[in-house]
Amino acid sequence: MAPTLLEEVLPPQLTPVAGVRAALERRRARPGGRAYAVLRWGGAALFAAVVVGLVISLADGSSQAFAHSGLGLLWSGTWDPAHLRYGAGVFVLGTLVTTLVAIVLAVPIGVGTAAFLSEFAPRWIAAPLSVLVDLIAAVPSIVVGLWGLLVLSPVFARHVEPFFKKIPVLEWFFHGPALGPSMLLAGVVLAVMILPTVVALSRTALSAVPVADREAARALGGTKWQVVRSAVIPGGRTGIEAAVTLAMGRALGETIAVAMVIGNLYTAPHSLLAPGATLGSAIINTFAEATPGLDRSAVIALALVLLVITALVNAGGQLLLRSRMRARTA
Amino acid sequence: MSSSLGHALALPAPDIAAARRELVRQTARRSLTRRRAASRAIVVVCGLAVAVSLAPLAALATYTIARGMHALSVSFLTHAPTPPGIPGGGISNAIVGSAIVVGLATAMAVPTGMAVALFLAERRGPVADAIRFAADVLTGVPSIAIGIFAYAVLVEPFNHYSGLAGSFALAVLMLPIIIRSNEAAMGAVPRDLWEAGLALGARRARVVRSVVLRGSLPGLVTGNLLAIARAVGETAPVLVTIFGSTLFTASPLGPLAAMPLTIYTDGTQPYPTAQQIAWGTALVLLAFVLVLSIVARVVAGRLNRRTR
Amino acid sequence: MEHVVVAAQNGGRVLAPFGRPLRARWVRAALVLGATGALLAACSSTSPTAAERTDGHSTTTAASSAPGGVLATATDAQSPAAQLTGAGANSIDAFFTRVFYAYSAANHGVSVNYSPAGSSVGITDIEQGTVQFGDSEVPIAAPAQGTGGSILQVPVDLGGVALSYNLPGVGQGLKLDGPTLAGIYLGSITTWNNPAIVALNPGVNLPHTSIVAVHRADSSGPGYDLDQYLIDTGGAAWTAKSGSTPSLHWPVTSVGVGQQLNTGVASYIQQTPGAIGYVEFAAARQAGFTNVALKNQANDFVAPSPTSIASAGAQAHNLSAANFVIVDGPGAGTYPLANFSWTLLYQKQSNQTVGIVLGKLFDWVTTTGQQQASALGYSPLPANVVSLAHQTLLQLQTSAGQPLFS
Repeated sequence: MAPTLLEEVLPPQLTPVAGVRAALERRRARPGGRAYAVLRWGGAALFAAVVVGLVISLADGSSQAFAHSGLGLLWSGTWDPAHLRYGAGVFVLGTLVTTLVAIVLAVPIGVGTAAFLSEFAPRWIAAPLSVLVDLIAAVPSIVVGLWGLLVLSPVFARHVEPFFKKIPVLEWFFHGPALGPSMLLAGVVLAVMILPTVVALSRTALSAVPVADREAARALGGTKWQVVRSAVIPGGRTGIEAAVTLAMGRALGETIAVAMVIGNLYTAPHSLLAPGATLGSAIINTFAEATPGLDRSAVIALALVLLVITALVNAGGQLLLRSRMRARTA
Repeated sequence: MSSSLGHALALPAPDIAAARRELVRQTARRSLTRRRAASRAIVVVCGLAVAVSLAPLAALATYTIARGMHALSVSFLTHAPTPPGIPGGGISNAIVGSAIVVGLATAMAVPTGMAVALFLAERRGPVADAIRFAADVLTGVPSIAIGIFAYAVLVEPFNHYSGLAGSFALAVLMLPIIIRSNEAAMGAVPRDLWEAGLALGARRARVVRSVVLRGSLPGLVTGNLLAIARAVGETAPVLVTIFGSTLFTASPLGPLAAMPLTIYTDGTQPYPTAQQIAWGTALVLLAFVLVLSIVARVVAGRLNRRTR
Repeated sequence: MEHVVVAAQNGGRVLAPFGRPLRARWVRAALVLGATGALLAACSSTSPTAAERTDGHSTTTAASSAPGGVLATATDAQSPAAQLTGAGANSIDAFFTRVFYAYSAANHGVSVNYSPAGSSVGITDIEQGTVQFGDSEVPIAAPAQGTGGSILQVPVDLGGVALSYNLPGVGQGLKLDGPTLAGIYLGSITTWNNPAIVALNPGVNLPHTSIVAVHRADSSGPGYDLDQYLIDTGGAAWTAKSGSTPSLHWPVTSVGVGQQLNTGVASYIQQTPGAIGYVEFAAARQAGFTNVALKNQANDFVAPSPTSIASAGAQAHNLSAANFVIVDGPGAGTYPLANFSWTLLYQKQSNQTVGIVLGKLFDWVTTTGQQQASALGYSPLPANVVSLAHQTLLQLQTSAGQPLFS
């Protein structure tokens, strides 16, 4: 058994601090400590290698397509593998439209839910309800996609889409035949999947507002809603922005559920009721059959574009989150 | 409340003051009524928002259970698929395939993730910040991009689809979840306990084992279970790496089946028998994921109770 | 010391009673999972077990010098054991699943894992050597080469492409011809009661429903056939958009809806009144669809059936991988949208056992296996095609270039 701290400080010449330091040096010099350091640094290095490898692998895989089509690959609206013309424009547009629909649907409902759970509801309701909302996040996206395809799609084709077509002022958004699979259906399915993210993060943001602020508003004679509007929402605004951004990042990355309900039409959609394609759905549907070489390189280029867009949005959301936490501890 | 004194002084002020007080009181009362009504309306609207939030979950659960129940049976869970028209088929290959792929992925991701989490929990500094940021951004990477990465690294060079490639993809997917949750759990162990252990002369590794891991075990378990629940339901990474199998195979070095793949292939078919298999598989998958999530939550609840 | 530290964390209580049981609980759970897995593996399925045994029983015919013996139906039943992996056409899936299952039942050591991801995937995978056999509705243009050398193309199946529609109130056999079909897929004919369609179908009460034209978003053999038919009969409007050679990629992707694979198209048609799409006839038959009676070269309106498809197959007098088109064939009862399905194998088989198993399997499929065809909605191969298949399989060689069969 190695000498204990007590034995170390016994010699009167050594000060306690020096004794401690010496003991720690002896400990650190042991081989076991070095193995542990290797483990920690090795794990970190492995993780860094994986992240870097992911980016390099996609960049390398798509280089052939970029060499062939140039930067036009990013915005060209023609996707025609048979004639070797590749362009991600249609898919980027589809991705943006479906994400926008999802955000427009999920944010008001999600923030309203978060406000209810965090501010208005008594604790005995709020706790189980928030557990239920979180459970939606646990549902695998393939199951949501299956439900969207087999249950929602007929309902949309028969009831929801004709209903929207009848509203005269929204005609610019909703025209064309009511087919079922469409940008609208994909947006709704995405909204269902990102809702838990919005609710959980907004709830954290709202409940992190200091009690003193709420009490101040209440003392000034505010009703529940006035307290929320004047004290809580402004205080939680950065957190809600972070929630929206991260939810948008999640919506961008969803592939399989969207692929099942979007209708796979590789042209720019003219209405929300039209089928279309997103980056994710296009990749899933074309990767397996892309001939190695230029075809496959073009599909990997789509994956790279999706990766960059998603990473940027997620990084933005994370920065917002961190700035909120920094502001709080400042 | 005009007093005789006021009358005596013949000042009009008390009447106006009283009138003014009365006006303020009525305005306040009206305003309060209005504001209260507005507040109540908003609360109702938010309550409706909650109902709308929960409606999809209710619909999903109802349909999956209702349609999946018809497919469930012992033979469904223990037999391999049969061609359409021949009864008695099941999803045993998908269940075992999922178990193998996710099991291997867990074996790859948990040790690495915990090592990185330890690294982040112990050190401060730019390297740790960079790795933490990378982990946070990696959580949002689309799973199809990770699948393509695994394809490029493990399928293309060998021209061979395998469960191992799928496991690698799922491990990369699980890593950021494990890292973040484990780092949070380890970081929750008070710093003084670390330092106490070190001060008592224990080696760093020993401190980690006795103090940190022991103390954060519920949090670690929660995080890892949630990562497993996420991985078992992912379709895109396994779609491009494991090829799928109609046969009962159990070797990770070759093609494997998986539950999400079965749901995807059978759910997009027009035949009621195939769709029923898809619903049954979805029910099995959903039940497994929900049970894992609830267990993780219970374990986390234990953690909260212990630290309170 | 360990307990001191740990106890300090727990406010005096020792952690062990909590820690140990939890770990033991995990160990127990892991054991249970492992046992369940072993149980599932042991509880064999209705299909034969599929362990790879590369040096199983060899054939009993000793007379021939070739490693595989004589390639004949009588000896096909005695096959070495192997597990095969293949990928390819979605259209042949119903047939392949059934015959592979039947063959495995007769040869307990042979099992086949076929992925019906599409003809293009099959071609890509066999060219890369990722699978042991591929299948495509459209043969590879000569020279058929891959990383393992030259590729043999064996016709194994004769099937047809149905144009299925979902029109409540309208029965089987709606009549359409090239120009009307081209109009539908170009978007110039948008409702079912369009005069052009009404003219072809006097007496049929066609509703005013919008037409939803469904095409394959992935590359497909049925799309190739329909493209060929419309190039032949659809007029200048179609060739302006599609060009004069047919393509595996559907040329007009801006009209209607795109779906993946036959199954995706069929599912969509099933759910959507007013939809029309091209589906492998076997899939349409299984889904119970109403199918179009297409105008053929003899100006007859013929609906798809095993008989009319057989009639198309009988026209393939000089069938080969270079001369494979039987679309829009002559004859009174000929269905104009029919095609053969081609299995792709490397000529030089690096693994001899696998090569023998492949040869025997597909020889069985093209002879005894054809009995399954009609019941599923395909048509048995004509005699000349069977012998073409047999002759092609005889070209299988070992890696040294020796013939595998005699």
